[in-house]
Amino acid sequence: MAGELELQRLSKDIVNQLAAIVKTAQIHDPANVAVVSSIEKFIAIINPVVESEGPTKLEVVGEFFYLNETRVRYSMEYLLNFDFLIREFKRHHLGSIVFEKAARPEDMKVFLRVFIASSFMPDPYEAISDGLLQAGIHSLSVGVLRRIREEEGQYDIRKTVKTTYFNAVSFAKGVMSKMKAGERVSIRKAKRVVESMVDLILDQEEFLIGMTAIKDYDEYTYHHSVNVSILSVALGHRLGFPKNALMELGLVALFHDIGKTDIPAEILNKPSKFTEDEWKLIKRHPVWGVSAILKMKGFDMTSVRAAIVAFEHHIHEDSTGYPRTRRVEDLDLFARIVGIADQYDGMTSSRVYSRVPMPPDKALRLMMERSGTQLDPLLLKFFVNMVGVYPVGTLVMLDTKELGLVNGSTAMPDRPRVMVVMDDKGNKLDSGKMVDLSEKSPDGKYLRSIIKTLDPNKYRLNLAEFLL
Amino acid sequence: MEQPSEDIKLAKEVLNSFTKTKKTLRMYPSNNPLYAKAVEDAYKKLSEFLDYRKELKLRIKQNELLVGADVVYHNPGKDDNLALFFFKDGMREMSFSNGIQPEELQAFLEVLAFDFEREDVEEDVVTLLWQKDFKHIKYIVDDTVLTEDEQYEQEAVRHVKEAGVSDDGLKKAYEDAISAEEEKDVTLVPITDKDLKQLTVYIERDAYDRKEKLIEMLYEMLYQAEPAEFEGIVDLLNDAVRFSVTHGDIASAVSVMKRARDLTGSPSAPEELKRHLNAVFPHASSHELIKIIGELLDAGDVINETSFQEYIGFLTKDAITPLMSVLGELKSIGARKAVIAALVSLGRKDIATLAGGLKDERWYVVRNIIYILRMIGDKKIGDHLTKALKHPDLRVRKEVLTAMGELGGPAVIPPIKESLDDPEASIRVSAVRALARAGSDLARRTLLERITGKVFLDAEFSEKKEYFEALSRWKEDDVFGFLMGVVKKTHLFKKAKHDEVRACAAYGLGLLGNKDSLPALYKLRESKNKFLSEYAYSAIRRIEYGR
Repeated sequence: MAGELELQRLSKDIVNQLAAIVKTAQIHDPANVAVVSSIEKFIAIINPVVESEGPTKLEVVGEFFYLNETRVRYSMEYLLNFDFLIREFKRHHLGSIVFEKAARPEDMKVFLRVFIASSFMPDPYEAISDGLLQAGIHSLSVGVLRRIREEEGQYDIRKTVKTTYFNAVSFAKGVMSKMKAGERVSIRKAKRVVESMVDLILDQEEFLIGMTAIKDYDEYTYHHSVNVSILSVALGHRLGFPKNALMELGLVALFHDIGKTDIPAEILNKPSKFTEDEWKLIKRHPVWGVSAILKMKGFDMTSVRAAIVAFEHHIHEDSTGYPRTRRVEDLDLFARIVGIADQYDGMTSSRVYSRVPMPPDKALRLMMERSGTQLDPLLLKFFVNMVGVYPVGTLVMLDTKELGLVNGSTAMPDRPRVMVVMDDKGNKLDSGKMVDLSEKSPDGKYLRSIIKTLDPNKYRLNLAEFLL
Repeated sequence: MEQPSEDIKLAKEVLNSFTKTKKTLRMYPSNNPLYAKAVEDAYKKLSEFLDYRKELKLRIKQNELLVGADVVYHNPGKDDNLALFFFKDGMREMSFSNGIQPEELQAFLEVLAFDFEREDVEEDVVTLLWQKDFKHIKYIVDDTVLTEDEQYEQEAVRHVKEAGVSDDGLKKAYEDAISAEEEKDVTLVPITDKDLKQLTVYIERDAYDRKEKLIEMLYEMLYQAEPAEFEGIVDLLNDAVRFSVTHGDIASAVSVMKRARDLTGSPSAPEELKRHLNAVFPHASSHELIKIIGELLDAGDVINETSFQEYIGFLTKDAITPLMSVLGELKSIGARKAVIAALVSLGRKDIATLAGGLKDERWYVVRNIIYILRMIGDKKIGDHLTKALKHPDLRVRKEVLTAMGELGGPAVIPPIKESLDDPEASIRVSAVRALARAGSDLARRTLLERITGKVFLDAEFSEKKEYFEALSRWKEDDVFGFLMGVVKKTHLFKKAKHDEVRACAAYGLGLLGNKDSLPALYKLRESKNKFLSEYAYSAIRRIEYGR
């Protein structure tokens, strides 16, 4: 069998071509020449794998596909088809397809027929499974979608995520105090911290992104550095960056505000609005960041990039930000990514901008208004898709009269996972109840939908109570 | 759980082979056969274990590696302790699974052999393993080693929860939400194929060289800086020059200096800024940077010639000594040529410093310096050359004589004349040629004096010939007359020696090319002395046919 790289390529091709078949079959009958041709292409890819590896299982876990338990890497090239197929699997409650032996065109046509027909049934997975059995298809079988619940394994993941997150915050705090004291900062440690975050983004993206919704106002600067790093890496992942690029992005994002070390704490943590002179000082932090990074790390490709990002992250696409420069240059890609993550986290925290944190959905709407002026429109589009229409931490009223906090995403951007904190009678639930808004009732209707978003800050709600 | 003894035995052998391989990989370069053999042996040992097992899983303790509960490696010391090597960076478990290929194991063993003590290394074992993204080598890491403050997580969680959720707040939120109008404000932004194409363009554009941007940024900082910040930013510009040069990007280093030149020449720039900014030129001329440039040149790295010339143009005379030092270390001809050209250009600014290189212990450096002095051609070099004429190495002395000849002037004649009596024939010849190059009346007179002197007759034929060739440089009547006289004059005593001198004079006439000498040469052509006849014939051919 081919090597690992070849297997990764084949895995991506399998997902891509299966998505292509399903898409075509949604328009044409499976006997149509367009579908048949698409099936033939798929068979040409899958059968050599089955012949070589034996039964081959394509499975959806969380937001990712796994082929024989090896995660299929997110590919920018096939991003649309990946997302489409994930949505289709979830919509049909389909967790996996196992190609037990070499696939035949006729079997694939049967699968497509039952798959399309099941879309309108209350339990689509049952319909697919029964349909295959009734047609006597043995070359392929299906498995039900494993719903993400707060199970034992999830508890360990959350614990790991929490430890990783607070390790990073603790590190960021240590960096700032060491910089102030003129002590040496360990880049080795910084890399380790970012590695852990990248690993979690690759495997448990939503849990770590969820941590960014927890704001500690007294430790804002450190949380902010880590949050921007997490959000940047997650966006980079969506953009298809390889692992080492994600590491570099996470590292430069972690240090993007290091110039703030030179701003007196009494200004940085001032509870009221900044004076003009204070703003002048605040606006110097990108420039001070350059000096701090280059002196701390010396000159290498990563430190140069980190310095550029520190310098550019407030400049804005239309150069209306700061520092003002004599020459207008294209912003570095990482600076544009960090700029988006920085605005989002800044707006949803209570230390910058209007000094009152915005609810996440409102922040996103405001950022969309800045698309093309302050923020890169394309990257912002990816960012909004990543955090979802209702980002983690959004307070939502459901049509069931339950009040909840958005806790994670599903394949459907407008149907997140929600932790219900008040029941339909207005009683507080002490431990919260996790619900998935993409879940349907047997008659095909959604069990719950969002009807309104609220500002948790207006009601002095502390998200940490529910998210930690 | 107790492991079968065969497992333990094989696991021990695997770890022994890893320890040995680590040492071998540190000692030998990767192209050494012993290097490949060590990797091969380690792979063989690991394969023996994995042939009938799914994986080799090792638990990592400070001084021990364990398979299950059995110790398969133990080292209580700090040096070469494989267990400690992994343990100190937080690794607690590691496994090698079936399917591992030799390349993957080699990459792992190279991490083992990596020198983590180097100051510039910014990775630990875990990071290097992480970067390699192994498929068949997995590990579990305890990230608490990263924690700056062990209590931080607990404290932070307590702190953020402290505010607690206000039941009143929740109730109010609930009431407001119930009474409010239903709201649907969902903005979906689907990603399209066009977006993906645009993203590809973004990523392609991202592969640009950031050095120029860095320089632009540092100058922007300088324009906006307070006077107290000038020095710090100029230090960064110096670092940018070093960084660019280290990466073989001389153009970027030049860019720093061009901007510095423009800014220091600008009437509107503050004097204090100019004073600080002027520091970039001596820095670019420093020993450290010149050494790096020398290494680049010697390694045959592609260096843009225009940029290199521009860089040299910005150097101060401080660069002369480092360039001379580097010159002695270069191995490639091309590199030496480039540095010599740089010294020719720069040496004019400070000949005394350049001449300091004549004290170098390496003869070839001294010879190169003399060549450089010669190319500079400044009369001030005369004294330095005279001193160098006493150098013990012949090759140096020859180069000095060439330089003196080219320099010309009355001052060089006495030392050249002195060299005409050097015990070494090749030096004497070089001195004759030097006189020819000097081309002065004094030089001519010196040659004539020597030719007509008593000892000349006893000189080797080849040396005599050099004198006449040298003399033929003066296309003048008195030289012509002198040569004609020598050709025509016959001798009774020491006839053979005199005929040699006549043959040389005929050769000189040929070089002069004066047709008036043809009758005398025709006559000489008829000489019974075959030697004389041949030289006369050659001279005739040269005069008549130009060959």
